[in-house]
Amino acid sequence: MKLLIANRGEIALRIIRTCRKLGVRTVLVYSEADRESLPLRYADERYPLPGSTPSETYLNIPKLVKAAKDTNCDAVHPGYGFLSEELDFVKACEENGLAFIGPSSTALEKLGNKLQARTTMKDCGVPVIPGSDSALADEHEAAEIAERIGYPVILKAVYGGGGRGMRIADEADEVRRFFRITTLESASAFGRKEIYIEKRLESPRHVEIQAIADRHGKVVSLGERECSIQRRHQKLLEEAPSVALDADQRDKLNDAAVKGLSAAGYTNAGTVEFLLEKTGRFYFLEVNKRLQVEHLVSELTTRIDLVEEQLKVVQNESLELSQNEIRVNGWAINCRINAEDPRANFVPSPGTVIRYHPPTGPGVRIDSALYSGCNVPEYYDSLIAKLATWGVNRSDAIQRMKIALDETEIIGVPTTIPLHRELMRDETFVRGNFDTTYLNEFLPRLDEKILEYEKYAAVVAAAGKAKAPSTRNGEATTKPSRWRTMARTQLMSNSNRGG
Amino acid sequence: MVSRLRAFRVEINGALYNVSMDQMGKDKFRAQVGEAFFEMEAVSTGAITTWLVRHADETVRGETMALPNDRVDVWLAGIPFPATVQTIGTGGYSVPPEEHRQRSIGGQVRALMPGRITSVLVKKDELVKAGTPLLILEAMKMQNEIGSPIAGKVKSISVREGATVKKDSVLITIE
Repeated sequence: MKLLIANRGEIALRIIRTCRKLGVRTVLVYSEADRESLPLRYADERYPLPGSTPSETYLNIPKLVKAAKDTNCDAVHPGYGFLSEELDFVKACEENGLAFIGPSSTALEKLGNKLQARTTMKDCGVPVIPGSDSALADEHEAAEIAERIGYPVILKAVYGGGGRGMRIADEADEVRRFFRITTLESASAFGRKEIYIEKRLESPRHVEIQAIADRHGKVVSLGERECSIQRRHQKLLEEAPSVALDADQRDKLNDAAVKGLSAAGYTNAGTVEFLLEKTGRFYFLEVNKRLQVEHLVSELTTRIDLVEEQLKVVQNESLELSQNEIRVNGWAINCRINAEDPRANFVPSPGTVIRYHPPTGPGVRIDSALYSGCNVPEYYDSLIAKLATWGVNRSDAIQRMKIALDETEIIGVPTTIPLHRELMRDETFVRGNFDTTYLNEFLPRLDEKILEYEKYAAVVAAAGKAKAPSTRNGEATTKPSRWRTMARTQLMSNSNRGG
Repeated sequence: MVSRLRAFRVEINGALYNVSMDQMGKDKFRAQVGEAFFEMEAVSTGAITTWLVRHADETVRGETMALPNDRVDVWLAGIPFPATVQTIGTGGYSVPPEEHRQRSIGGQVRALMPGRITSVLVKKDELVKAGTPLLILEAMKMQNEIGSPIAGKVKSISVREGATVKKDSVLITIE
């Protein structure tokens, strides 16, 4: 097998690592903005895509298919985001004899968009959230349905994913206003403007089941992930397992996920997301038909290499895994480190990373394509690193995360590290007593903390000035090297002794 | 080592801090801002100096890079705090001047990040409230609604829909 990787950044690197282990040859496509990217150093071949915008490059189906054919690839890994759940891309791969690492176009159509997925799940008895059963025609229809199901409501991109293209509205005016923004965002991010509406549940948790299915009808669940730490539907921290589930609920969720995926004839790695109410009632949210950003926490607790399983499935192998052999071991937490400014409402902050020092040590895994001097392009997702820790239990994983975050140095672009740093010290988080609304409650405390950091920054600035070598015409004079001074002293003392 | 007392005026993001500082050793400093005391130690020096800053029972890491014209780039827990540092004298501790923070607020709406204007939601001379959405800036796949910082009238619109803008460029002026 020779694999084309139709993605970039940390996930391209993640896929390449497993391919190298298995001896699968890789071709990595890259945009102009990514011509210095880290994964290019480890792929077997590189294939340039002119341009830098996603639509010119990683979203461009004809260019990607041509790249695969030009390089004699027989399979394509889409990673997450970009074309990972795009039916047209899956079809294009199938028509050109390329094995797509993901579900077949038939299965994708059954779960193809969020609306169809609702119907598929509903039909096999999995509870779904009240909402519209088809795409919204205009803002008036949106407001009408919202009135019927009751506020608050969520406007969602039918073809969306990854937490993008969603807005919450509390009243008809907002529904109308957000209709336009969500439509725009959807068109720009997913190339399709259709949106639909769902009732917003009161303070639910977000719990999801990671599954893998082969082409011989076997679906195996790797257990749940807790993903309730979200800002504007954007997951920021994930863990496995979830403190919220008891054995009975865990069984029910696993069963619902496996049943739903079997009904859709799903193959390859997939995730079934659920919202869990305080009462313990759960609703199907959506199926993520790809390898997910947070897959690494499941890998840490089950010791399964999901990309390896994906590659086996696509080669028609039967899964060797069996459900009663899957053991969830210990606890894993993943912090998403995004190039976003926590001081300025988390605006994306592309730029140059002038220094990068990753943490290591027992139970620490970091998936990142950063290096000192690299550029974080403005064109793509702001995720720049996934820092995960594994511990024998939750508090062990948290302790390790505290240290790992402290050791992480990313200088040059502001990141979400301060948020994670404070979360690890937050009582509510440490107790595990949170839901999807918790981060909003927590963020003002983060703002206060960051304002406090400013005071630290002021004194460090003064110390930095006091310690700075004297400057002449604005240029720093060279400092004597301490090594050289030591070497000279030693040399002199040696020659003295000799003389 | 004889301690050296110095005073600095530090400006960060429009806020002013008066810092009294005492050098305790080659790489060690003690500083006071208002009523708060900080201890700092340079643990790695070079073009970028790494500091451990202790305050109360907490230790935070920071980095500094001294630049010309009194500017010092500072990062704390990875957050950039570009600072301007003026030496205002040496001498003993005086009563620390009241720390005052002032944020400049203007009617100029600037791009917080490079990106593309996907939508302009107001017209020239339109009256807006603080928070009224003015335009939508797309960056890193996100549509960012940019609201008016103040109440007033749209004096000028410097961008058109579809325009690519650089960070900090003026988009709209409100007066």
